[in-house]
Amino acid sequence: MKIYVKALGMHLKSELEYRVNFILSFLSQILVFFTYYFVILSLFTKFSHIKGFSLWEVLLCFSIIQFGFSFNEVFARGVDKFDELIIRGDFDLLLIRPRNILLQVLCSDSDFVKVSRIIQAIIVLILSIIHLDIQWNILKVFTLFLMLVSSCVIFFGIFLMAASYCFYTIQGLEVRNVFTDGGKQMAQYPIGVFQKGFVLFFTFIIPYAFVNYYPLLYLLGKKEQYYYGLSPLLVFLYLIPCIMMFYQGMKRYTSVGS
Amino acid sequence: MSFIEVKQISKTFRVAKKKSGLKEAIKSFFKREYLIVKAVEDVSFSIDEGEIVGYIGPNGAGKSTTIKILSGILNPDFGECKIAGMTPWKERVKYVKNIGVVFGQKSQLWWDIPAEDTFDLLRDIYEIPEEEYQSTKNDLIKKLNLEDIINIPVRQLSLGQRMRCEIAASLLHNPKILFLDEPTIGLDAVSKQLVRDFIKRLNHEKHTTIILTSHDMSDITTLAKRIILIGNGKVLYDGSLKKLKDQYETETTVYVKTKDKLDIRKKGILKKSKTKDGYQLLVQTKELSISKLLPLLSRKIEIEDIEIENESIDQIIVKLYEDYQI
Amino acid sequence: MKAYFTYFKLKFISGLQYRSAAWAGIATQFFFGFVYVMIYIAFYDSGGENLPMNIHQVITYLWLNQSLLALVNQFSKDQELFKMVKDGTISYELARPKNLYFMWYFKVLGQRLSNVVLRFFPLILVTSLLPKPYTFGGPSSLFNFLLFLISLTIGTLLVTALTVLYPIITLTTMSEKGIVNIMISIADILSGLVVPIPFFPLFLQKISKFLPFQYISDLPFRIYVGNVDILFGIHGIFIQTIWFIIIVFFGFSLMKKNLKRVVVQGG
Repeated sequence: MKIYVKALGMHLKSELEYRVNFILSFLSQILVFFTYYFVILSLFTKFSHIKGFSLWEVLLCFSIIQFGFSFNEVFARGVDKFDELIIRGDFDLLLIRPRNILLQVLCSDSDFVKVSRIIQAIIVLILSIIHLDIQWNILKVFTLFLMLVSSCVIFFGIFLMAASYCFYTIQGLEVRNVFTDGGKQMAQYPIGVFQKGFVLFFTFIIPYAFVNYYPLLYLLGKKEQYYYGLSPLLVFLYLIPCIMMFYQGMKRYTSVGS
Repeated sequence: MSFIEVKQISKTFRVAKKKSGLKEAIKSFFKREYLIVKAVEDVSFSIDEGEIVGYIGPNGAGKSTTIKILSGILNPDFGECKIAGMTPWKERVKYVKNIGVVFGQKSQLWWDIPAEDTFDLLRDIYEIPEEEYQSTKNDLIKKLNLEDIINIPVRQLSLGQRMRCEIAASLLHNPKILFLDEPTIGLDAVSKQLVRDFIKRLNHEKHTTIILTSHDMSDITTLAKRIILIGNGKVLYDGSLKKLKDQYETETTVYVKTKDKLDIRKKGILKKSKTKDGYQLLVQTKELSISKLLPLLSRKIEIEDIEIENESIDQIIVKLYEDYQI
Repeated sequence: MKAYFTYFKLKFISGLQYRSAAWAGIATQFFFGFVYVMIYIAFYDSGGENLPMNIHQVITYLWLNQSLLALVNQFSKDQELFKMVKDGTISYELARPKNLYFMWYFKVLGQRLSNVVLRFFPLILVTSLLPKPYTFGGPSSLFNFLLFLISLTIGTLLVTALTVLYPIITLTTMSEKGIVNIMISIADILSGLVVPIPFFPLFLQKISKFLPFQYISDLPFRIYVGNVDILFGIHGIFIQTIWFIIIVFFGFSLMKKNLKRVVVQGG
């Protein structure tokens, strides 16, 4: 943990070496982020709701997914950019250090500019909470917290899966965009607005629905059962195969080479 | 048992065959054909603590595969390897505390910040006690002449300065073994000298075992007494550099500057030719050593100046490679 | 002229090498397109008033957008040009006896066309086979289709001119982060890349009338689906052409000006 914090500090220091660039990128990220909810805002000028979800309900959903994604870009960038680590051959340098590999991968990169996205996601989240008339109770507060955490967890898992793939080949790695960017794009909306097959896939194969659909229903009072509120916990199970895959890939790397 | 004991290590790689054309591309998408490449085959050697060994061979001979196996990055298909009582790829975390690695073509330093920050991180990674860390660091700073450069962002350093920092970074935890993979690549003469002197001193003072690969043979000659030559994945020669020299350095050219006329005929002198201000002799040293030739010459003529040109080690290596057809 | 064509050809052919990237791109675009299509269907099912397009027009528009994305977007920058500007290899290019602006222009054009060729046909084929309402529909008339081809061609020339502009601006800023990236994300929104322009809030629709971006892909797509009448389409093609000429002229002179600076600085 100490090492991780230190490495983060060093990444920040590195980025601040280019001060002007950092500030400008930070600003441009605000705009890029804006393009994301521009779609939602525009469409809601023409439509009043999407399958019963209002603008602020969709934005709540949106902000939770954006939060998790950006969180990973800042704090788990090394996993996201793992292919570069393999291509540069720098993964070998991690293997000669007496530390857990995954920890070292986490330490290997960070993109602090994306903090601007985290901040915006939080702002959108707060605004939507203010606009929505949620009947708060302790479990609902906990549900909201779980949604945020599981959003971070699910993207971490997907990044980790893509990273495991890099141990085998980096050809066609772009497919991971379907699950990361594509998943993000989709999960900005409550999954329930999509077709059945989609909902099933993103419930059981990649459990986006447990991040921001089922718990959202509970939060908004559309479902009363408490287990809807606790459903994000299932996302943690999803991490297990992802981590196993990563270590499987590493075993292969050390026996096959790059 | 020796400090480093490598027994019959073999490693093969599968390389996907690439063919051109759309049809082939689609075909290979579903079914790939592979070439089996033997990177190292039946490699054995042992190294004692405190030795400096030059590990040489042409590109693609299997040098870096061996280094990767020895440093725990790769595990071999067959064979055993015990270093300091451990098998590198089996006890990775425990083992790598004992080694330091410098890859001349890769950097472990953080590009945009001063090297000292990287050092501090490495202290935490290796869990070096503060006191020990400070004294090792200061020692390295002094010996590698780093005072003025460890506080400058690495990207602003020259290649030579950076390499010195790289070496320091690999030694902060006082490893028993140091792997140097082309540590002088791209360096200027002064930096090369500095690096070599430091390595010698390190070996002398701390008794660090050093395994060195380089294409610059002068690195090898100044540092290593023993060399291991590898070609096509096999060990071709393992022994002292001197013996190798004796074996291959069979011809020497001697330039004599003189005003006299030289008339010499002796077994071992292969060729004699006149130059602008003297003679050029090609001598077979096995038949006639230089120490015997010199008195012979001075008896016959007045020598104004004499120059003996040994075959360079590079030429020897070329010959060696040719002999082994690698 | 032949030299510029060679540049174009080289880029086109080397772009065709990246097949695995193309397959991945197709998968991604198909997924994205499908998600968008479902979102619009969900919105339309929920009902709305004064909708600017019918659902079939929207869906066809979305699929056109996805399958031609490699051609009409501005965010996938030509990294080679930016690198050239930043690390100074631009001096190599300056040593060649050809106009740098047009060398770049044809490079970018070749790159874009090869990228889109690999992606377009599979996507269009698959999406036209989808069941209703997801399917990619045909053009609203043969005449619309012809107009679409013309305006897409000019749109391509226009977007190429815009894409070349960004590395030229980078000649002064020396980094594409910041200003250039901000410009690109604004340009992409105003091209209708994220939302078709008819769905924009009114004030933005008004603003984008005076900018070149909606003439890249929004105009040709709307001609195809028959969302604008023929006269408006022809009028649009006229404006498109004018914008194309303006941007090329602007880029050409800006490059001349910026290169002078670079030479003076000894970069």
